[in-house]
Amino acid sequence: MTDAPVPQTVQEWRHELRTPVNHIVGYAEMLLEDVTEAGLEAPATALREAIAAAKDAVTLINATLAPERESVDGADIAALGRALQGPRDRVATAMQHFVAGSEGMGPTFADDVRRILRAADRLIDVASPPPADEAHAPAPTPDDGAPASAARILVVDDVEDNREVLRRRLVREGHAVDVAADGREALDRVEAVAYDLVLLDVMMPEIDGYAVLRQLKSDAATRDIPVIMISALDDVEGIGRCIESGAEDYLPKPFDPVLLRARIAASLEKKRFRDQEKEYLQEVNRVIAAATAVETGSYDDGALADVAQRDDALGRLARVFDGMATRVRAREDRLRTQVHALRREIAEARDTAEHLVLEPPDPGKLPVGERFAGRYDIEDVVGAGGMGTVYRALDIELDETVAIKTLLPEFVSDPGLVERFKREIRLARRISHRNVVRAHDLGECEGVYYLTMEYVEGLTVRDLLDQRGRLEISSTIALGRQLAASLAVAHEEGVIHRDIKPQNLLLDAEGVLKVMDFGVARLAERSVTLTEVGLILGTPAYMSPEQIIGEEIDTRTDLYAAGVVLYECLVGRLPFDAKSTVSLIAKVLNDEAPPPDANEGEIPAPLTALVLTLLAKNPADRVQTAQELADQLDQMV
Amino acid sequence: MTRILLVEDNEMNRDMLSRRLVRKGFEVDMAMDGQQGVEMAVAGGYDLVLMDMSLPEIDGWEATRRLRAAPETASTPIIALTAHAMSGDREKALDAGCTDYDTKPIELPRLLAKIRAALGESE
Repeated sequence: MTDAPVPQTVQEWRHELRTPVNHIVGYAEMLLEDVTEAGLEAPATALREAIAAAKDAVTLINATLAPERESVDGADIAALGRALQGPRDRVATAMQHFVAGSEGMGPTFADDVRRILRAADRLIDVASPPPADEAHAPAPTPDDGAPASAARILVVDDVEDNREVLRRRLVREGHAVDVAADGREALDRVEAVAYDLVLLDVMMPEIDGYAVLRQLKSDAATRDIPVIMISALDDVEGIGRCIESGAEDYLPKPFDPVLLRARIAASLEKKRFRDQEKEYLQEVNRVIAAATAVETGSYDDGALADVAQRDDALGRLARVFDGMATRVRAREDRLRTQVHALRREIAEARDTAEHLVLEPPDPGKLPVGERFAGRYDIEDVVGAGGMGTVYRALDIELDETVAIKTLLPEFVSDPGLVERFKREIRLARRISHRNVVRAHDLGECEGVYYLTMEYVEGLTVRDLLDQRGRLEISSTIALGRQLAASLAVAHEEGVIHRDIKPQNLLLDAEGVLKVMDFGVARLAERSVTLTEVGLILGTPAYMSPEQIIGEEIDTRTDLYAAGVVLYECLVGRLPFDAKSTVSLIAKVLNDEAPPPDANEGEIPAPLTALVLTLLAKNPADRVQTAQELADQLDQMV
Repeated sequence: MTRILLVEDNEMNRDMLSRRLVRKGFEVDMAMDGQQGVEMAVAGGYDLVLMDMSLPEIDGWEATRRLRAAPETASTPIIALTAHAMSGDREKALDAGCTDYDTKPIELPRLLAKIRAALGESE
């Protein structure tokens, strides 16, 4: 293929364009003579059509490049090139007749068909403007759209002519093109340069196109480079094989310029999407890796900084995630410190407790060392409260240590009340939370009503306060947070505790709070006189005003009680205290809780404010939900 | 059989023209450049030479002058094939010693007429 300079004069243009037309006519006439001689009518018709198309091309060329014209410009040639597309396509279509085969038509027949097609391509090639740096007119694109974006393309063909035709055409389309003359060179080049597309001839000596394709597709680094196979017109089977082996597409030789442009553009577009998709997935994987890192505690703040720069939804996700992860970590650090303080206080209290001679609890009714209700081996008395005695026992059916709480007869004398209590226990059993002592069962044996529940080895907050006076701020927050969490799940299940007080709050050695007796206080809910209150439930110091005066109560009564507990933990005394129950009740109903004074510790103002809010007389003025309380405590340092 | 030497560097032109001439009953040899053309023409005793004018190495004008200078080919008809129908090309070709002149792209019937005329003149 000649690399002739671009024609300048009208005559030069005429010559350049007439030459391929004459080749078409010349070869077609020769073939026509052959098929006519052989008496083949259909091929003769096809060849006559090719000749007629070529003669139409001559007419077009002569019209634009009339001998009397003195000059011609790029726009004239571009227009002529577009006009010649029609005759050129007719020639190509006519030649399709010979794709199926040319048996009995002589050894050179197929070669001559190729020559005709090549000449037809050459016609368009000549009339297409050269690359941008040489021409002023834009490349005539059939779709009139934006020119295909420039790509880096490798052309692999052992026949120099084919290689050159492709290279020139692709350069003209604005692509950067490298060529390789065989499979080995192709693989070397692909290894060295990141191509956007490879055009690969099937038939090559030594390493053929199939082998190159297999090699490219088996290597992760080159697998995603689209490959368009170049194959002979009649090699349908080979084309199928290529596509199965992962080729993006195929182009039959000789090349149809429109098809070439369209297939290359489509392949590049697909690759562009795939590249974008890959890049996007990589970023997604980084976000996922960051999530894993958060779980394992190895997340570095700002690890997603560059993903967060993205201007899309993924960028927003990364920003939000990074913010959340940072906050979560800060919170975890905070909680760890708080729980650590609580554990230390518990450990110190236990040490002290060992030196104290505790008053032995009321031995109660159940015989220690014997089996009760056919199922529980009573091991010890572990506590006594306003409603009964608490034992540690072994549940021989489940081989599990449990706590058994017997109920004093006066609480279970009213059958209606017992029914209501049973319903309450059924509800309470649904609460499953690490901060709640799990209720098992309500039973009756020989007139003794008893509750079984999870046994927790630990101290009550009452014990802790008795020994330490008050708790550190961090410990208080750790305790309050867990208390709020337990109330949140209970309230969610529709269970109001009604009797939150330090005696009902157990702490294990790890600093985990376990709230006891959800629903149990329901038993005490019968009409009683104010003076009876103290008898029944001990001190009303933790009861909300609305509970004391027997109004309808809701979950906010537990929040009031939590406020009293937190106040006591922080300050070391109750917000309201009096010698008699009656005057205590009067204070609870009428007085404002006094804020802790300066010598009662450096309590952060927001914490003081939060606790005083919990102690509001009107439930509507309190923090409204346990979750809200938990959230607010979370924010406290 | 009439023997023609076709001196043409373009492969497709050479292939097509030679085959078309063979079909018309001529015996055709081919040379790919001016040097080869001169050597073959002098040694081959051809009835006619078809000489492309734009050839590599020695161009058609020079090759023609050399053939005219060689006694073996001094009177062999030479038809010049030129790319452009430039005014003056005809004179230039005849000045160089060509018998006749045709422009490319080749139109076979026209060329055949010129070949026959040239052969007739030489006989």
